[in-house]
Amino acid sequence: MKRSVKLFGFFLLLSALVFLLNCCNSSTPKNTPEKHIVEIVQMKFQPEVLHVNEGDTVVFINKDLFVHDVTEELHKSWTSKPIASGSSWKMVATQSVDYFCSIHVVMKGKIIVNKVPGK
Amino acid sequence: MKISKTFTNTFSAVFAAAIMLSATSVFAQTNPKLSDPEVASVAVAANQIDIDYSKIAKEKSKNADVLQFATTMATDHAAVLAKATALVKKLGVTPKDNAVSQKLYADAEKTKKDLRAKSGKAFDKAYIDNEVAYHKAVISAVETLLIPETENAELKKLLQDILPALKSHLAHAEMVQKAFNSK
Repeated sequence: MKRSVKLFGFFLLLSALVFLLNCCNSSTPKNTPEKHIVEIVQMKFQPEVLHVNEGDTVVFINKDLFVHDVTEELHKSWTSKPIASGSSWKMVATQSVDYFCSIHVVMKGKIIVNKVPGK
Repeated sequence: MKISKTFTNTFSAVFAAAIMLSATSVFAQTNPKLSDPEVASVAVAANQIDIDYSKIAKEKSKNADVLQFATTMATDHAAVLAKATALVKKLGVTPKDNAVSQKLYADAEKTKKDLRAKSGKAFDKAYIDNEVAYHKAVISAVETLLIPETENAELKKLLQDILPALKSHLAHAEMVQKAFNSK
């Protein structure tokens, strides 16, 4: 009898734990925006190609000796403006883009945005 | 073309001298060819010379690509100079004038005179051709002469750190040069 009570208690505890875990999971949507880092170092964007979800934030950190910028390449439709050595700049990724440094035009990078349903 | 040739000749002469000195020092078992203060002086000269060229380009050119390139050269080489100046100050090293830096300055004077004598598209082409040749020569000098000659680890690291920028400058200059040649 005592043993079955113990067993029942154990299952009750386990159920409560599973319930709690489910609660926590459901309160955190799977498409929560994430933060990604692109380092600017030795005249390169690293990583050069970055895959993100729509709405994610991309932070560019200039760890180089020189001033750089991040500029949309095809039409120059947006730019970070100069990012000094040791500084950073962030953007929210809404669509895939080819970008470059307009100061050092051979420095290029790409952000590929995966569209999130319902956004 | 004449200007590019001058630079090729300058660095050929510098390397020939360096090789001769190297051979001499190896046989004599003496000190390295260039001391750290001399390496610092050559690095300062190489940066200052390209800043001087960019000033001429800003005065004479009306081409947007040339002007943008010249601005980048002025900004980046000034940044290198500032880093180098701060480092030699920290290390207590005083850049020491030497045969290599003197030859660089002397040849740069000739090149500046040639550039100033040109105008319009002829100037733009001469400036970019010279930048391509100059960066090739400087990259080679940094890789095969300055870095191996440098004893201080921090000075060596600074030279290694500026190589990617020099290579990016060369690729940028070649891009502008290619656009000129295809027109």
